[in-house]
Amino acid sequence: MARLLIWVIAVCLWSSAGFGQRASVPQISQEQPDNRTVIGAVNEYLAAGAEAIRAKQYDDGIRLTKIGLERPTSQRDRAAALSNLCAAHAAKNEPDQAIGYCTDSLSLNDENWRAYSNRAYAYYLKRMFDEADTDLDIALSINPNARQMPQIRGMMNEKRLRGRVTMEEHQ
Amino acid sequence: LLISAATSTAVGGVAYARDIDPIGTWSCVVWGHPEFGDERVLFNFSTSGVARLARLENEAVPAWNGLTPWVKDDREMRFSDPRTGRQYLADLRRENLGGTWRTLTTTGGWWCGVAEVAVIPETREGRAAVLPPILPLITATPRYPIEAIRAAKQGRVVTCFFVDAAGLISDPEMIELSDEVFRAPVLAALERSRYEPRAAGDQLRPSCRSYTFSLDKLSQYEILSE
Repeated sequence: MARLLIWVIAVCLWSSAGFGQRASVPQISQEQPDNRTVIGAVNEYLAAGAEAIRAKQYDDGIRLTKIGLERPTSQRDRAAALSNLCAAHAAKNEPDQAIGYCTDSLSLNDENWRAYSNRAYAYYLKRMFDEADTDLDIALSINPNARQMPQIRGMMNEKRLRGRVTMEEHQ
Repeated sequence: LLISAATSTAVGGVAYARDIDPIGTWSCVVWGHPEFGDERVLFNFSTSGVARLARLENEAVPAWNGLTPWVKDDREMRFSDPRTGRQYLADLRRENLGGTWRTLTTTGGWWCGVAEVAVIPETREGRAAVLPPILPLITATPRYPIEAIRAAKQGRVVTCFFVDAAGLISDPEMIELSDEVFRAPVLAALERSRYEPRAAGDQLRPSCRSYTFSLDKLSQYEILSE
């Protein structure tokens, strides 16, 4: 379970990979095909927050990201930052806060499969499997090749399915 | 007997599998839909192509019923039973004689061991004594593989094997395997299973088991209470 949790968190951080790359990116936000968001030097708090979450320093990451969100930021970057907050809270086993941030993120950008995936994981933590399924379906429709969604669905199946073996003797 | 039925032979450094020779008398398990039950029968195949079947539960005289002539097509053996409409098929590359059967509406399988029966007794008791049932002593249940639960995989496995006089299972073969994920737990369960010991020196007896792996969806209440 611990390994899976780390993996799910990593999923979330991927959406903000660009935060830590401000030295080599333009000053304006650029949208990449895989939904990574590249942010310029204007919001170093978001970059530092993403790095902290990546390093599993969730409290620092949340604090820095919240400071970053108080500064002028593009809508896309704001959505990515909210998704990171969602990831950090999910990693801290705080699904209610996580769901709130993911929902806010998706209200700004409803094409970010990672936000759906993060929220699905938060729903999984709350054992709200139907809601998680819905988010996973949407995330898969946006990115059918992502490995995270089957992984979360597998974790859910472990909780909601019970295996039964019936045997018949032939002789 | 098993060894002579299908062996690997090295020729010029290249090993190849020899097909099973079906000629002779075989004691077989024939299974199908659970509602129709299983049968323990004797098959007899002659070099001239004649195929016969004797039902051990049947008191009819003569004991043998004619089947359609058996034919070897490539490395498969085919024959059919006009009375039941079953068309039998065997892959002769297997380790043992057996395979599947089908009618227009149903399917099943069969699995045989070489029978040391010269004359079929005329009474039911006599016939039953030829092949008394082998009784399970320990029947281990396979675990449901966690990877199959994660992937929401259900499936079915039919495995056939031999039971020696000590009641131990040997030479299990997968007749039907819906997914490779179920192989290991079935083999592990067979390894833990035992049958009632029989008289020392009693020949290997064929038997089969089918396993159905299914998943039940828990209710929200059950999920929350776990």
